[in-house]
Amino acid sequence: MIRLDHVSWRRGRKDHAPVLSHLSFNVPQGGFRWLLGPSGAGKSSLLRLLHVETLPSAGRMEILGQAVGEQTKRAALVRLRQRIGMVHQDYRLMPDLSLADNVALPLRLQKRGEDEIQTEVEAILKWVGLGARMGVSAAHLSGGEQQRTAIARAIIHRPGLILADEPTNALEESQAHRLLDMFAQLSAMGTTVIVATHNETLIRRLARPALVLEAGKLVADEGHPPA
Amino acid sequence: MTALFSKRRDGLSLSEALPDRSLFVLVAMMGFLAALTLAGASGAQALAARWAAGAAQLVTIQVPDPDQPASPPGGASLPAPGPQAQGNGPAADQGTDQAAPPPTVAAPNAGGLPATLPPEASTGPGAPSRAQAVLAQLAGLPPGTEVHRLSAEEISRLLAPWLGASDRSALPLPAVIRVTLPQGAYLPPTLEQNLAAKVPGVIVEQNALWSERLHSLANSLLTCAGLALLTVGGIAALITGQAAHTGLATRRDIIATLHSLGAPDGYIAGRFARRTASLAFGGGLVGALLACPPLLFLLRMAAPFGSMTPTVDSPDLTTAPAQAIMASFDLVPQGLLGGLAALPVAAALICWLTTQVMVRLWLRRLP
Repeated sequence: MIRLDHVSWRRGRKDHAPVLSHLSFNVPQGGFRWLLGPSGAGKSSLLRLLHVETLPSAGRMEILGQAVGEQTKRAALVRLRQRIGMVHQDYRLMPDLSLADNVALPLRLQKRGEDEIQTEVEAILKWVGLGARMGVSAAHLSGGEQQRTAIARAIIHRPGLILADEPTNALEESQAHRLLDMFAQLSAMGTTVIVATHNETLIRRLARPALVLEAGKLVADEGHPPA
Repeated sequence: MTALFSKRRDGLSLSEALPDRSLFVLVAMMGFLAALTLAGASGAQALAARWAAGAAQLVTIQVPDPDQPASPPGGASLPAPGPQAQGNGPAADQGTDQAAPPPTVAAPNAGGLPATLPPEASTGPGAPSRAQAVLAQLAGLPPGTEVHRLSAEEISRLLAPWLGASDRSALPLPAVIRVTLPQGAYLPPTLEQNLAAKVPGVIVEQNALWSERLHSLANSLLTCAGLALLTVGGIAALITGQAAHTGLATRRDIIATLHSLGAPDGYIAGRFARRTASLAFGGGLVGALLACPPLLFLLRMAAPFGSMTPTVDSPDLTTAPAQAIMASFDLVPQGLLGGLAALPVAAALICWLTTQVMVRLWLRRLP
């Protein structure tokens, strides 16, 4: 469950103009939302905010049942981040680590056993088609491989919320469709999914409500159209 | 499958992010300095304690006109010694007293006169001399007290630097009695008063003042050493902080990613702290080991001045270096040995703490 109530966020000082202004919307647990809008509309900023990489400057925000704000304890924010899977547009892999070590990171941070980690990593990498590349350094992967690795890392720990920022822009169409099907499956199993994209083919393929941003403002919430 | 996972588990790669060699070398240099400072402090403390203890137990008593009767018949006391009494008193006629064999007696603690008193010190039957009277008073000191009247030769040796080897028989020299109290014993508070009453003009020189001064000196030296160690520790902390800062700057993006994946502050700070602590431990160990040869050399040189094993029988460094070095380890005070052993641990602790603080403060910038 995601709940935003007049949330604003500005970068830097208080006199700066807000990047996101008075956003209010709800996404129920297991809901799927497309996040749409032109470049610079604030999609990536909203995803970072939902990933708790930044805190709202104003308003109230609740993610997976946890209120998020300046007053929230750091330990609670850490626990919350561990329940979120994020696919960044620039992948953000660890270049010094192997593909398998990159994917294993969320499980290691949750202090899972090495046997379990090994099994899970092997399974997920085979699923994203990288079973034969597990030991390769992340620095030597192609763009598509890096993107698939980032996706595997985002979902390996079965998070309650998946956020994806243009997750298919380096993927072939078939892989993109496969990924979309997986997101739909996860959503059906109770994971909340928000995907920011410009890919209209994908949007047409999976008919789900969209949140539309323009200049930092929410101009449409198809999940909850105005009465 | 195991080959898929490397030893690098978090991507921080701190062996590359932290300036290893510079931190290691700098900590080694500071460990070297700290070891020398520690040795200086230990030596100063030991010497000062020994000097202070010796001075505190030593009392010197001067008895002017030592062969005059202590209490002339009728109870009249002698005039206090002064310039007018010098050279024309009865003492001047009894220069032979100065050559008398000095009595060295252990205080019997049973009252009465010491067993051996200079027979010629008496001026007449039944009338003890002033020196005898003083010695009689000293016989009541605590057991183990050593009372020694300096002989004429000993006094001559004391005066030789000022008076040369000339004949001093005409000088009205006082008797000098050296009292060495056992450890923990003190002069009875009434002794000086009693002596003044029975043998007027007696001068009792207690060395407690010197003892206090030596204590103050020792404390000052220890304070200086402590400040030097604090400075070295502070510099170590600053250097470590700088190293941690550099490591954070070069791994900024990776740390941000780890943070966004849900890595707690303690996890990231702990990785950095373990790395700097291990480097500091190695540096401290090398520094302490490097300080050992000069310290052993200094200890061998200082051995004759302390209560350490004399170097007379010690193996020579040039002919039997290995045996000489092993023998030198016996000279190292236990406290110093413990301090040297603790140096790498202290360096690691300082660096671990500094890094923890630095990294946690840096991470506070992130939500």
